[in-house]
Amino acid sequence: MKKFVNDPAKFVPEMLEGIFLANEGKLKYEPKYNLIYRADRPSKNHVSVIQGSGSGHEPAHVMTVGSGMLDAASPGNVFAAPPMEYCLECIKLMNTPKGVLVLINNYQGDRMNWDMAIEMAEAEGINVKSFIIDDDVAVQNSSYTIGRRGVAGNFFVMKACGAAAEKGANLDQLLEIAKKVNANVRSMGVALTSCTPPAKGKPIFELGDDEMEVGVGIHGEPGRRRDKMKPADAIVDELFDAVAKDLPFKSGDRVALMVNGLGGTPPSELYVLYRKAALRAKAAGLNIVRNYVGNYCTSLEMAGASLTLLKLDKEIEELLAAPAEIAVRVF
Amino acid sequence: MKEITLADVETAVKSIATTALKNEQYFCELDSYAGDADFGVSLATGFRAIEQEWNELDRSSIGTFLLKISMVFSKNVGGCSGPIWGTGFMRAGALSKDRTTITLDDLDKMLTASIEGIQKRGGAQLGDKTLLDALVPIRDIVREHAGKPDVNARDVLQKATEVANEAIERTKGLVAKRGRQQFTGDRSIGTPDPGIVAIATMMNDLCTQFGVAKPTPSKN
Repeated sequence: MKKFVNDPAKFVPEMLEGIFLANEGKLKYEPKYNLIYRADRPSKNHVSVIQGSGSGHEPAHVMTVGSGMLDAASPGNVFAAPPMEYCLECIKLMNTPKGVLVLINNYQGDRMNWDMAIEMAEAEGINVKSFIIDDDVAVQNSSYTIGRRGVAGNFFVMKACGAAAEKGANLDQLLEIAKKVNANVRSMGVALTSCTPPAKGKPIFELGDDEMEVGVGIHGEPGRRRDKMKPADAIVDELFDAVAKDLPFKSGDRVALMVNGLGGTPPSELYVLYRKAALRAKAAGLNIVRNYVGNYCTSLEMAGASLTLLKLDKEIEELLAAPAEIAVRVF
Repeated sequence: MKEITLADVETAVKSIATTALKNEQYFCELDSYAGDADFGVSLATGFRAIEQEWNELDRSSIGTFLLKISMVFSKNVGGCSGPIWGTGFMRAGALSKDRTTITLDDLDKMLTASIEGIQKRGGAQLGDKTLLDALVPIRDIVREHAGKPDVNARDVLQKATEVANEAIERTKGLVAKRGRQQFTGDRSIGTPDPGIVAIATMMNDLCTQFGVAKPTPSKN
């Protein structure tokens, strides 16, 4: 294992400190509970939108804290749900008179710890609601999930809710927006390699040089099947078919199209995938209104990608187009 | 002995913690057949933290004590064991916040609340081969005796331990449907569920702790 690591046990805290130092004045850092939060939140006029999952999926979720996106994130260790106490402290810190919205990707560990924290926060009189994201069409139930998994489609829920919260939407309105985005977003991914959590020191699963895992989860958990490697276009065909048929997306739909890297795939390859995905979308009569190519929800250095389609309406389109500023930026 | 005191609850929790620490390796071994072999470590991590903070725990009532236990446990244990066991203690504590003694009737209500909380948290039902398959029969024994005149809590402990032991054998042949074990499917058939064994082992040690004769061991 060759990684930029000092002490594997300090990997997550040192990453968080780095995020803080890169955004001083805009973000704050509470090391006791792994909390990264906006310097201008909580605010009494805004619902706080928060999320927290295992680390290793960056930029989700801790690097997506910023204006127009998340107000706070409380990550756990690499691929481990945040302990209940982190979740509870995050809710308490971000409490506002307008309430707190917790977004949760559908993984058992995340759900249980957040659910318990929410129960405790409610007992203290905090107005907090949660929403479960489950956009992955690959499998029903998996190593860490009951139902479908929450993967890269989560970006759109965060973006839409973040933008709406910024404009002053109330908690019920935000829940409706989250529900609508989640109901219209579908994803599926493929892994070309495994990945290695620093504290574990070895790959989380084995994948042969000529193999790929179709429908992989964001912790390397098995998807639909193990297959021999194929040309990029053939891989996109399978992902596109699975995703497009699921909703189903229909000719004339206005959509957002995302090709998400799983961490170890270079931008060049992601654009090779996007090319085919866009051609397929156009051929199916879909109108690509917005597109996203890059790393949005990763599994450390895993080579691989996922494809996400979101069906838009006027409201979601406007929310996606609203300005936002997060730790990850290229300008 | 009709009423259960705060001191009894403290003794019971201490005993449960000792059982978890003593059996860390054994519970991991049981979890390795069909799970990911970390159950013993998770449980021991939580109860070790409770032992470390033992002297500082709030003891103003049974409820505050149990809520504190819940907090320390779930603070230190991530994954699924933290919220499951944490919720169990939390729900029981919420019902006994202003009490320094409880009756069997109260205990029935507290166990019921714990069971409902654990069900809600993990989504498991009776027969899914989880710790609920031990907890529900235990609660039923408490409920059955709660209304009887001249009932002795020690007899109830003995009978409850008996049903916990029986739960191990009864569920061995089932396929685990919740937790990590569900994904190994048939591999779980024929092996006891670590959560059920943990509850039964804790009950047997509670008998020793309170000087109650242990029920005849089941034939596993």
